Amino acid sequence: MLKFIFSLALLALSINGNAQEKDTTTVSYPERYGLRVGVDLHRLSKSFYEKDYKGLEIIGDYRLTQRFYLAGELGNEDKTVDDDRLNFTTKGTYFKAGFDFNSFENWLDMENMIYVGMRYGVSSFSQTLNSYKTYEPTNYYGENTVISGVKYNGLTASWVEIIGGVKAELFSNLYLGFSLRLNYLVSNKKPNNFDNLYIPGFNRTYDGKFGTGINYTLSYFIPIYKKKKSHSKSEKL
Amino acid sequence: MKQMLIKLVLSIGIACSFFNCEKDDICAEGTPVTPRIIIQFYNAAQPTVLKNVTQLGVIEPNNTSGISFTGISKIQVPLKSTTDVTTLQFIQNGSDTDTTNDNVDVLTFTYQRIDKYVSRACGFKTLFYLDETNPVVLSADGNNWIQNIQVIQPNIENENEVHVKIYF
Repeated sequence: MLKFIFSLALLALSINGNAQEKDTTTVSYPERYGLRVGVDLHRLSKSFYEKDYKGLEIIGDYRLTQRFYLAGELGNEDKTVDDDRLNFTTKGTYFKAGFDFNSFENWLDMENMIYVGMRYGVSSFSQTLNSYKTYEPTNYYGENTVISGVKYNGLTASWVEIIGGVKAELFSNLYLGFSLRLNYLVSNKKPNNFDNLYIPGFNRTYDGKFGTGINYTLSYFIPIYKKKKSHSKSEKL
Repeated sequence: MKQMLIKLVLSIGIACSFFNCEKDDICAEGTPVTPRIIIQFYNAAQPTVLKNVTQLGVIEPNNTSGISFTGISKIQVPLKSTTDVTTLQFIQNGSDTDTTNDNVDVLTFTYQRIDKYVSRACGFKTLFYLDETNPVVLSADGNNWIQNIQVIQPNIENENEVHVKIYF
């Protein structure tokens, strides 16, 4: 928890530091507003090189104001975890919705983003306990592996994400992005006599309520309308 | 702007690196896992008085090594998590080098098992519920050193209480 507060404070400092800089640009370009849709390359590529993982995440954002974007992710994951003492498969779908705040002051007509954001995520999934080992410290009779195969359906979880990320325009309207996410579990419906050790969208769970995530996105921007940059706002930031 | 970018990436990077440090894949000592059966020894002549065992060897017949206890009245013995029956030889003077003074008594524990989830690191634990009619059976061999057996807690869910009393 302390670590989390410390890193949050660091995050806040870096945003604060930016607020003190004065913008001196006087020429303004009309800015484009629209919808951006894309895919998470990290999950997509992992589906190919990791045999125990299949996942897809569609991302999207819509520019509301000069700095605020309505943003969300929709995904599906199928992951088998082979731990020392447990082997289980998690399958499910998740949806995250929230906003991104672009703290980057673009030069000229550039449309890059260095952003912070928040999401609320929900996930509906199943866990299949493939096998487990019972633990007896003296291990007098040797290791006991039990093939189970019990499936727990109808599990749900929800969480809050704090995001930091970048999006850069590669070619016209094509963006490459990267984001790091800090997750905090709000609700978690656990199976009887097992646990949600992996939650689609949230990723691996730990003893506490925190988790982490990343995505690496390729997205396409569909312009809808243009608006002039408002001066008062840009000078403040 | 560049400064700001560096700061942001650094702070998120630091935040994430902290989480990579957290290891919960080692089963911590003291976690309640599969309990062993707790047996307390009493004096057969004075059933309320504890009696220490000396050079007691406990071995599962198919196992190559046994467990030895000496100078204590309370012992912990593991039961099998794979079957509903565990047969154990309780050998008086069995853990010393002299085999001529050995007296082997065979005890058969019959029970039901339930596997309970513990954690990612520890996996599951097995809880044992001793059979109501024949929980612990002593095979009569004409020269039993064990005089009497009393089950006081048939539910073996932890190691905090005595499950079986043996009088000798």
